[in-house]
Amino acid sequence: MQQIRERLFRRLIILCTWASLVAVGLICLFLLLSGLPALMEIGPLRFLLGTEWRPLAGLYGILPMIMGSIWVTAGAMAMGLPVGLLTAVFLARFCPEWLHRILSPMVGLLAAIPSVVYGFFGIAVLVPAVRQIGGHGSSMFTAMLLLAIMILPTVISVSEAALRAVPDSYYEGALALGATHERSVFFTVLPAARSGVLAGVVLGVGRAIGETMAVVMVAGNQPRMPKGLLAGVRTLTANIVLEMGYAVDLHRGALIATGLVLFIFILLLNQLLASITRKEER
Amino acid sequence: MTPSPSKRSTSLSRRLREYRRSPISLVLRVAVMVSTLLTVALFVYLVGYIFMRGLPYLKPSLFEPVYTSQNVSLIPALVNTLTMTLLSLLLAGPVGVFASVYLVEYATRGSRWVTVVRRAAETLSGIPSILYGLFGTLFFVNFLGWGYSLLAGAFTLAIMILPLIMRTSQEALQAVPDSYREGSYGLGAGKLRTLFCIVLPSAVPGILSGIILSMGRILGETAALVYTAGTVAQIPDLMGSGRTLAVHMWALYSEGLYMNEAYATAIILVGLVFVIQALATAIARKLTKG
Amino acid sequence: MKHLFGRTAIIAMLLLSLLVGCAPAEQSSTPEGGDTPAKPELIQVITREEGSGTRSAFVELSGVEQKDASGTKMDHTTVEATTSNSTSVVLATVMQGPAAIGYVSMGSLSDGVKALDVEGVKATAENVQNGSYKLARPFNIATKGEVSAQTEDFIRFILSNQGQVIAEETGYVAIEAQGDYEAAGASGKIVVSGSSSVTPVMEKLKEAYVALNPDVNIEVQQSDSTTGMTNAIDGICDIGMASREVKDSELEKGLDATVIAMDGIAVIVHPENSVPGLTMEQIKDIFVGTITDWNEVK
Repeated sequence: MQQIRERLFRRLIILCTWASLVAVGLICLFLLLSGLPALMEIGPLRFLLGTEWRPLAGLYGILPMIMGSIWVTAGAMAMGLPVGLLTAVFLARFCPEWLHRILSPMVGLLAAIPSVVYGFFGIAVLVPAVRQIGGHGSSMFTAMLLLAIMILPTVISVSEAALRAVPDSYYEGALALGATHERSVFFTVLPAARSGVLAGVVLGVGRAIGETMAVVMVAGNQPRMPKGLLAGVRTLTANIVLEMGYAVDLHRGALIATGLVLFIFILLLNQLLASITRKEER
Repeated sequence: MTPSPSKRSTSLSRRLREYRRSPISLVLRVAVMVSTLLTVALFVYLVGYIFMRGLPYLKPSLFEPVYTSQNVSLIPALVNTLTMTLLSLLLAGPVGVFASVYLVEYATRGSRWVTVVRRAAETLSGIPSILYGLFGTLFFVNFLGWGYSLLAGAFTLAIMILPLIMRTSQEALQAVPDSYREGSYGLGAGKLRTLFCIVLPSAVPGILSGIILSMGRILGETAALVYTAGTVAQIPDLMGSGRTLAVHMWALYSEGLYMNEAYATAIILVGLVFVIQALATAIARKLTKG
Repeated sequence: MKHLFGRTAIIAMLLLSLLVGCAPAEQSSTPEGGDTPAKPELIQVITREEGSGTRSAFVELSGVEQKDASGTKMDHTTVEATTSNSTSVVLATVMQGPAAIGYVSMGSLSDGVKALDVEGVKATAENVQNGSYKLARPFNIATKGEVSAQTEDFIRFILSNQGQVIAEETGYVAIEAQGDYEAAGASGKIVVSGSSSVTPVMEKLKEAYVALNPDVNIEVQQSDSTTGMTNAIDGICDIGMASREVKDSELEKGLDATVIAMDGIAVIVHPENSVPGLTMEQIKDIFVGTITDWNEVK
């Protein structure tokens, strides 16, 4: 009896593992099957390096969107990362217990606010604010700002967990050597939490590059090469969500291929993360 | 956890003396404080803004049981949101947790097979939701012929949250010390008994945190649902189309006719997220203590 | 020290919430953020995504779309145009953008924006009806092949006097009605899908129809015109909605189109914009990108 149960359970969980693998496999397969033919038909180089995206004229170049995604993500990281990291340091090492009990759910809530709501906020508050600086408001800079806000919770929670995982002895050792609280935290604890913090950075980049609904509301979405901080820009995700509804045939294939490019970006990021953690383990 | 360092009783004057000796410490402290304040300010402004815009329009008519273009009631969407959350969790939860059990407890540790599955899950968790939406439309809606339906939406979301659940459950299971297992075996318990009575209960808080994160993603999801579950404002059966709160908000907003109601709906959505989070934290705390 | 932290944080939070409390009030008095240093003159062109029926009707009527040498129609909207996939983002952007110009369905017009006269004709329902306002387009529904009894009955209702009164009340322009509708006890399910511009009027029609035929269940899916037509072709829905003419390529795939109402497309600008109206030629030049400064049309 006992044995039968054991064996049945083993079957069940192996089935579950396969189910999850099949789900993963299906998505990859589907992306490849529907994206690759279009990619081949357009020509990989013309697709990746083409600077003109005019589906109705048969021009499918996504370089503007690739550059757009990279710029917007880089900008968001440049603004969001320092703030997020320093906030994480505060939460992990400076914050009294009672304040932590308020701030930590706050960060959680910030992470759970739907991107559509961030989009509302972006278009009603950030766009007019950026217009004061110059340009029309719907711009690359606005998208960067909004994404910087949106990645904050990811960066904060992952980095905070990493900082907390550092053994107290590091901190105490530094104090004993006469360092101030701040010096101990920044020059011993933070370096020790490096790999965890980097994981937070990579996850933040992933969120920024994959964000769709909010970005599409504030970025302007012009399908041409990025022309500066205060001019509009279109990202890879925006390209998909703007046109997926009505695209047919080759156009649809080109959009799925856009998704494929995005997928490869994410894959590279994960590879980077994996190699970082492996190095740390050694 | 770590005792909070600020508990050390340092007098202000000594602190000032320290700063004079090491100005960089002061700079760092200020930077940390300013950043935190900025985060708090953003949070307060964001939530405050939504409340300012939405609160005046949070009328009883928003809560009538049937949606009409007059009352733009959010009740059908609310019910759909709960159904959708439950359904996706029912689909992805057991599969995700059991798959992690296999990978951590049964498969040879560090084997190639485990690495492959883990890498796959990590990759999947980074895919933008719009791609899941694409997949769901082509596979569930068109290929399987389910049409726009709650079921198609729930399956799409289930696949979307599966990697998240797997990753967190694996971490939680790995964090259970081996001594627990050895102790249980030593007392003569079988593998199954050890798993269900010792290992899984200790891993529950970790698994739960994964489920909470998934709930957050489900509640806020729009891109993946518009083309799988559709946008009809009704409470359908499983094969019918229905919109969740986030989609409802998007639909209200997109034609520009009901912007105020959209903000009011946003309040409810944010409130829902908050309640679920608070509940889950409370449960997790109780479980870790008990 | 613990208390010092606590107090600073609390005070800061209080101050911030005060700031937040005041901000929206300020905004409502000057929704356009009126203290801009100098009035920007460079035109911000806002357009919709290419699948939008509003866009295809607009570019066709205004001449932004033109046939090239080989006879294929080309949409020449400038690449500098801000592209948005919803009416509300167009409205919100124009509401706050002193230099913005966009276009929306007349049914969606709101107080925060100003509708320009086109060729000296005001954008009103009457002017659409009498044909003097040129930026007008039909709302179409499309079905494929044999339709179910309840779908046929619903379409009969839409085209009846009762149905057209509803279209008019929603802010659109009625077409010639085909007599009175009497409920015949239809039952079953109807799926309607497509244009977000048609959705509001379709929802009203649905509510009135279901009141007469309680046994019919109607689902209205909101997306865009092209999705609606594709869904009707694929059999995902019974009725597809389009806020433009149904294209020949779509008719070839077996769709039957019926006009259910007319709608004007309003060209909208910021309320403080002093330009009273534009000619069709100017509208075209602005959207194609040959006119880039408001001073050229003042």
